[in-house]
Amino acid sequence: MTITTSHAPRRRRQLSQLIFRGATLLALVLVLVPAVWIVIGIVSRALPHWSFSVLVNTSAHGGLQNAIAGSLLLMFGVALIAGTIGLGAGIYLSEMSGSSRRARRLDGVLRTATEVLSGVPSIVLGFVGYVALVIALHWGYSLLPALIILSMMVVPYMAKSTENSLRQVPTNYREGADALGMSTGYALRHVVIRSALPGITTGLLVALAIAGGETAPVLFTAGWTDSMPSLALTGHAVPYLTYPVWAYYNQPSDQLRYLSYDSALILLVIVISLLVTSRIIVARTQRHADTRH
Amino acid sequence: MTTLETAATPHATPGSPRGVAAVRERLRKSETTLWRRGTLIAAVLPFVGLLFTIIVIAIKGWPAILVNGTSFFTGSSWNPGSTYGASTTVHGVAVPVGASYGAWPLILGTVESSAIALILAIPISLGAALALTERLPRIVSRPVGFAVELLAGIPSVLFGLWGIVTLGPLLAQHVYPPIANLMPDLPVFRFFKAPTGQGQGLLTSGIVLAVMIIPIVTATSVELFRQVPPLNQEGARALGMTDAEVTRSVTVPWVRNGIIGASVLGLGRALGETIAIAMISGAILGHTAATIYSPMTTIAATIVSQLDSSFTDATGFATATLAEAALVLAIISVGVNLIARLIVHRGGKLSAPVGRG
Amino acid sequence: MKQPRVKSPRTLRFAAPAVIVAAALGLAACGSSSSTSSTTTTSGSSTNASLAVVAPPTSSVALSETGSSLLFPLFGSWGTAYTQTYPNITLSTASTGSGVGISDALKGAANLGASDAYLSPAQVQATPTARNIPLAISSQFVGYNIPGVTAHLKLSGSVIASIYEGKITNWNNSAITSLNPGVKLPNLPIVTLHRSDGSGDTFLFSQFLSATNPNTWAKTVPYGTTVAWPNATGALGETGNSGMVSGCAATPGCIAYIGISYLAKAELAHIGEAALKNSSGKFILPTPATMTAAANSFASTTPKTGTLSMINTSAPGGYPIINYEYAIVLSQQPNATTAQAVRSVLSWIISPSHGNSQTYLAPVNFIPLPSATAQASANQIAQIK
Repeated sequence: MTITTSHAPRRRRQLSQLIFRGATLLALVLVLVPAVWIVIGIVSRALPHWSFSVLVNTSAHGGLQNAIAGSLLLMFGVALIAGTIGLGAGIYLSEMSGSSRRARRLDGVLRTATEVLSGVPSIVLGFVGYVALVIALHWGYSLLPALIILSMMVVPYMAKSTENSLRQVPTNYREGADALGMSTGYALRHVVIRSALPGITTGLLVALAIAGGETAPVLFTAGWTDSMPSLALTGHAVPYLTYPVWAYYNQPSDQLRYLSYDSALILLVIVISLLVTSRIIVARTQRHADTRH
Repeated sequence: MTTLETAATPHATPGSPRGVAAVRERLRKSETTLWRRGTLIAAVLPFVGLLFTIIVIAIKGWPAILVNGTSFFTGSSWNPGSTYGASTTVHGVAVPVGASYGAWPLILGTVESSAIALILAIPISLGAALALTERLPRIVSRPVGFAVELLAGIPSVLFGLWGIVTLGPLLAQHVYPPIANLMPDLPVFRFFKAPTGQGQGLLTSGIVLAVMIIPIVTATSVELFRQVPPLNQEGARALGMTDAEVTRSVTVPWVRNGIIGASVLGLGRALGETIAIAMISGAILGHTAATIYSPMTTIAATIVSQLDSSFTDATGFATATLAEAALVLAIISVGVNLIARLIVHRGGKLSAPVGRG
Repeated sequence: MKQPRVKSPRTLRFAAPAVIVAAALGLAACGSSSSTSSTTTTSGSSTNASLAVVAPPTSSVALSETGSSLLFPLFGSWGTAYTQTYPNITLSTASTGSGVGISDALKGAANLGASDAYLSPAQVQATPTARNIPLAISSQFVGYNIPGVTAHLKLSGSVIASIYEGKITNWNNSAITSLNPGVKLPNLPIVTLHRSDGSGDTFLFSQFLSATNPNTWAKTVPYGTTVAWPNATGALGETGNSGMVSGCAATPGCIAYIGISYLAKAELAHIGEAALKNSSGKFILPTPATMTAAANSFASTTPKTGTLSMINTSAPGGYPIINYEYAIVLSQQPNATTAQAVRSVLSWIISPSHGNSQTYLAPVNFIPLPSATAQASANQIAQIK
C-alpha cells in the first residue's frame, strides 16, 4: 500500500518528465531535419539537369571530369602526406614518450603545438599558403602548396585519432611482443598498429572527407583550371569539386549554375561514401572484437 | 625506455662486440632509434607548420599593424584610399592616400553570428546527446547518429549553398516576418523588428552556423555523458527520480565543465567558418548590422572575398591589412580552442587511456 | 607621378570640332593598316602592326579569362565563336569583377584579365610588363525600381552624388522632382545599391560622380574599383552586375549603377533607365548614337597605352559614362605558344569583321573601337611575346 500524499508534486514531476522527454525528442528531430533537408535540397536541384556527360567532360566543355580528378588527386596526396606524418606523430605521442622530465616537457610542447594548429582557421592557412608558397616562392597555383596546406589542416586530427586508437591497445600486447623478442618496428607494425588499424583507418577517412570538402585554403593554393590536373608539383593549377559550387552558384549563366549543383551532388556522394565505409569498418571490427578473449 | 625498448642486454664490455648476438643487439637498438627519430620528426612537423604560419602572417601584416594602429579595432570604415592616385608614406610604409581600415564591423559580425549559433546549437546538441545516451531503440539512434556524422562531414560550401538558395529565402518569406511582427515597437526590440530582406544576413548566418556546430557539440557531449558512472544514475533512479530529475541532479553536474568545454569547442569552429558565411552574410563592408536581419560580414568572410582584389592596391597595403585581420582571427580562434580543451580535460577525462598500465 | 586626371569639359571644348572631323576620317579608313595623318598619338611607333587576325599556334592551348562582369556576356560569345573557328584553342571565361581580373592578370594566374578600369600608375610601376589593351567601348546606366514610374527619369551627377551620400533619402525630394516635372514620384525611401566586389562599374560610376561634383564628392571619395561608400541608410552591397539587377528588382525604391550589357535583363525586371545630364546640360540616354558621339570626342586623344577615361564627354549629344573595355595582359607570356594564342584571340576580338562587328556588339549595346584606337591596340598586341 502506497502512502499517498498530495498529488500536486507527483503531477508536477510527471509534467517536467514529459517536457524533458519532448524536448530531447525535439532536439533529435532538429538534428535530423537539417541533415535530411540539405541532402534533399542538393539532390533535387542537381538531378533535373544532371547528365552523365558531366563525368566525362572537363569544365571547358560543360563537365566536371577535371574537378573530380583534381579532388581525388588532392585527397590521395593528403592521405599520403598527412597520413604518414599524422601516423608518425601519433605513434610518437603514444608509444615513444620519454620518461625524463625534459622529454615530457618536449612532448607537452609538441602536443600543445598540434592542438594549437588544429585551432587555426582554414582561411588563415590558405592565406599563408598563398602569400608564402604561391607568390613568394613562385610556385604559382599548384599541387604542392595545396597539399602542404591541406596536410597542415589534417595532421593534427590524424595524430590525435591515431594516438587515441593506439592508447586503446592493451599494454599486454606490447609486453607480449617484447617478450617474444620482436624489434620495435616489427612490434609496431604487426602488433600494435594492426590492433589499432580500424580506428586509424576511420580517422584517415574522416580526414580525407575534411580535406576534400575544404574550399578556402584550396582556393588560394590550388587555384583553378579548366583542364585535367597534371601531376606537376608546381606551376600547374589544380581543379577541385568545391570550386564550381563556390564560384558558379550566382553566375549569370544557367549552365554554370547547373554545374555548381552537380558539383555539390558529387561532393555529397563522396562524403557519404567515406562515412559509410568508415561505419562498415567499425562494425566489422566490433564483430571481431566480440569474439576476442 | 619504453616497454618496446627494454631488452636483455648482453653482458659485453662497451665497445667490443662479442659475437653475432651482440651485433644483432646493436642493429636492434639502432632500428629502435630509427623509429624514435622518425616518429619524433613527424611529431615536430605540426610545431614547424605552426611556427611558419605565425611568422608569415606576422611579417605580412606588420606594415598594416604599424599604420592601422588601435583604430583597426574601433574604426568602421573600410577605405582602400585613392588607389589610382599617388601613395604616401605613413610610419615608413607606402600607403595610398586616404587609406584607413577599421575592422570593428568584422569583429562584431564574427562575435554576433557565433553568439547566435551558440544560443541555438547548445540546447539542441545537449538535448540530442541526452537522447542518444538513453537506451533508445536502434531505429532512432542509428539514423540520428548517422545524421550527426553527416552534418560533421558535409563541406561548408554546401551549407552556404543550402543557406542562400533554400533556407534563406524560406526564412525571409515565412519565418522572419511573423517574428518581426510579434516584436513590440520598443527601443530594445527594434533590433528584431525590421524589413527582412532576402534572407541574407545576421540571423540566417547564425542559424546556418548553428547547424554546422551541432555535430561537434553533440559528439563531445555524448562522449561526456557516457562517462557518467552508471551506478550513480541507477542509484538515483532507484530512489524514484524521473529521467528529467536524474539528468538535472546527476548527469549534468557530473560533466558540467565538459559541457562548457564542448560549447567553447563549437564556438571555436564557428569563429573560423569562412565559406558558408561568405555566401550568406550579404558581405557588407563598412558598417555593422543595424538589425538582426541586416547583412553583415565576418573577419573570415572578408578575407576570402577581398583577398584577390586586394592586389589592385599596388602598395600592398590592402593585402597587409588582410594579413592583420587573419592574425586577429587566428589569435581569437586559437585562444578559444585552447580554453575549451583546458576546460574539457579538466572536467571529464575525454580520451581516457584504457589499455595503459 | 601625376594620376591620369578625369578630363574636365573645358579642356576638350576647343579640340572637339577638329577631333570629330579627324575621327570621322579615321573611321572611314577602317581596316587599313596605314595610319592617317590625324592620328598623331599612334604614329609614335615607326611601323604600325597589321590589323589582320593573327593565326593561332597549331597545338592545343587552353586560355583563361577572368574579370569584368560587364564584359562577361560578350567575352563568352567571343570565346565560343573563336573556338568554333579555331577548335584547338579553348577560352574559359568567368565573371569575377574587374578587381579580380586585374589582380589575376598581373599575377599571371589568368592569361587575360577583363576590366572596365585601366591600370593605375602604381600597378604599372609595380608590374612593368602589364598592358591594358582596349577591346571595345561600353557604357553604364543608372537603374531604379520605382513602382508606377515607367518613364526615363532625368538625373544629374550632383543629385546622384547626394543620393549616395545619404543627403537625398526619398524619391519625392524636390531635387529630383524639379528635374522631372511631368513625372509623379511617390513617397518612397531610396535604397542605394553598390558593388561589394572590386568592380570596374564602381570605377566608372565613382569617376562620373567625381567629375560632376569636383568640390564635394571628388574631395571625399577617391575613385577606384573599390570605394569607401558614404553611409546612406539601408545601402546594400551586391556582387556582380547580375547581383545589381536581381537586387534592384527585389528592392522597391532602389537606385543602382548597372553595366549596359545587362540592359535587356534589367528591362525585363522592370528596372527603369535614367537619362543622365552631360556636361552640355542635356539629359542623354545611352544609345549607340550617343555613345559614338562621346567616343568620337576622345578618339584622337587616346594614348598608345589605351589608358584614358572617357567620362563626362564635352560632345553635346554624348552620353557621359562610356569606357574602353580592357584586356589586362602581361607582355611576357610563359611561352611562345601561349603568347601566339593570346595574340590570336586579341587580334580576332579587335578586328572589325570579327569580334568588333555588330553581330557581337549589338546584343550587349557596345560600340566598336575607333580605327585609331584599334590600331593602337594592334600595336600593343604585337608586343606580347
